[in-house]
Amino acid sequence: MSHRRVLLFVTALAVAVCWLQPAPAQAQDDPDLDLVPLQPDFTVVAMPTALRLPRYKSSFRVTHRFGRPLGAGDFGDLVEDLFGLDSGAQIGLEYRFGIMRGTQIGIHRTSDRTIELFAQYDLMQERDGRFVNLAVIGSMDGTNNFRDSYSPALGVVVSRSFAPVGTVFLQPIWVNNSNPLPSELTDDNDSFLLGVGTRIRVRPTVYLVGEIIPRVTGDDPGVNQASFGIEKRAGGHMFQLNFSNGLGTTMGQIARGGASNDDWFLGFNISRKFF
Amino acid sequence: MKESWMRRHVIAGGVLLALCGMSAACDEKLSDLTGPTPNLQPTLSSIQREIFDTTDSSGRQACTNCHTDAGRNPVAGMNLRSGVAHTSLVGVASSGKPGAVRVVPGDPENSYLIHKLEGRAGIVGTRMPRGNTLLTEGQIRVIKRWIELGAPND
Repeated sequence: MSHRRVLLFVTALAVAVCWLQPAPAQAQDDPDLDLVPLQPDFTVVAMPTALRLPRYKSSFRVTHRFGRPLGAGDFGDLVEDLFGLDSGAQIGLEYRFGIMRGTQIGIHRTSDRTIELFAQYDLMQERDGRFVNLAVIGSMDGTNNFRDSYSPALGVVVSRSFAPVGTVFLQPIWVNNSNPLPSELTDDNDSFLLGVGTRIRVRPTVYLVGEIIPRVTGDDPGVNQASFGIEKRAGGHMFQLNFSNGLGTTMGQIARGGASNDDWFLGFNISRKFF
Repeated sequence: MKESWMRRHVIAGGVLLALCGMSAACDEKLSDLTGPTPNLQPTLSSIQREIFDTTDSSGRQACTNCHTDAGRNPVAGMNLRSGVAHTSLVGVASSGKPGAVRVVPGDPENSYLIHKLEGRAGIVGTRMPRGNTLLTEGQIRVIKRWIELGAPND
């Protein structure tokens, strides 16, 4: 797809956003401003949650995955390398913004020069008496600073809380062009993912998280990306230490899978809500 | 209130539909990958026309400059002229490297033709094609794909 068409799409998206009239001052009783203790962040490790972002509020996230597999070399090497901290890393910066109630858009840029634009639209919430939270997500990755290899994705996030223990997540999502080769050279160049994740509240502000994102059909190189971690909420911050068998944090990267089930990488996420 | 709800759904639906529409156009074009042979396809007839028979604009020599029986014996006994290339390649043992097969249908990694084109360690003789200009990675990918598809005589 040409760069020009993508710019056209982004411009159209921006126009649609601008068309939304500025709302009156945020009502202080907006329930989206309230902390949801069982779903306190916008992602599990890499996969999104159905958490709503209040209108005209925003959130920022840093993702960091160290490039040294924890199993490389002996334990002494690992300690000398401070568990991978001395090695290179894949770093991502993300900013998301609530453009209207129940709707957020965002941008995520990783240090391999991939840019992901995404939008999430809330359809239902447990707090309204529904059985699950349900949100629709759409995104588009582009490599080389959004110039090449566009990978759009479309799916839903379903989550269900089991108070006071935690929340489970299910994320069916279709990623197009997950294999960047032309269709003539591949059997499949899209992937259908079925992410499953959980966040368990072990202390009032401490959680255990885990997710696995299998490719159930389509292109599936490498291994299905899986991650687990521990996190601590501190006010509007969330600090997460995680372990993953892949470095992917965008939908296209996740669809391309992890490196190997023998290679696990240390990483962390830090997020900050501005509300 | 209801109007606002409707408007939200219409906008969100429009954005999602736009994403769906755009996705259909996201595939990379094969011609962007095949450099000096933009019409190259993973079929034997296309490979014959664009690679075996033609010296391309990059200066890469046609294979049939040497691998032909027109007025000479084909180098390594491999005749790549149109009509006989398939029988010279597919399932045929290499005359240079004992045990190697030129093209193993469905298995490009074990096809000696690919080893020669990529200049892998262990090949006998020089990397092909001779001369200063080699096949591009994209051109080799297309040949690999033809082999992956079973190396049909298409």
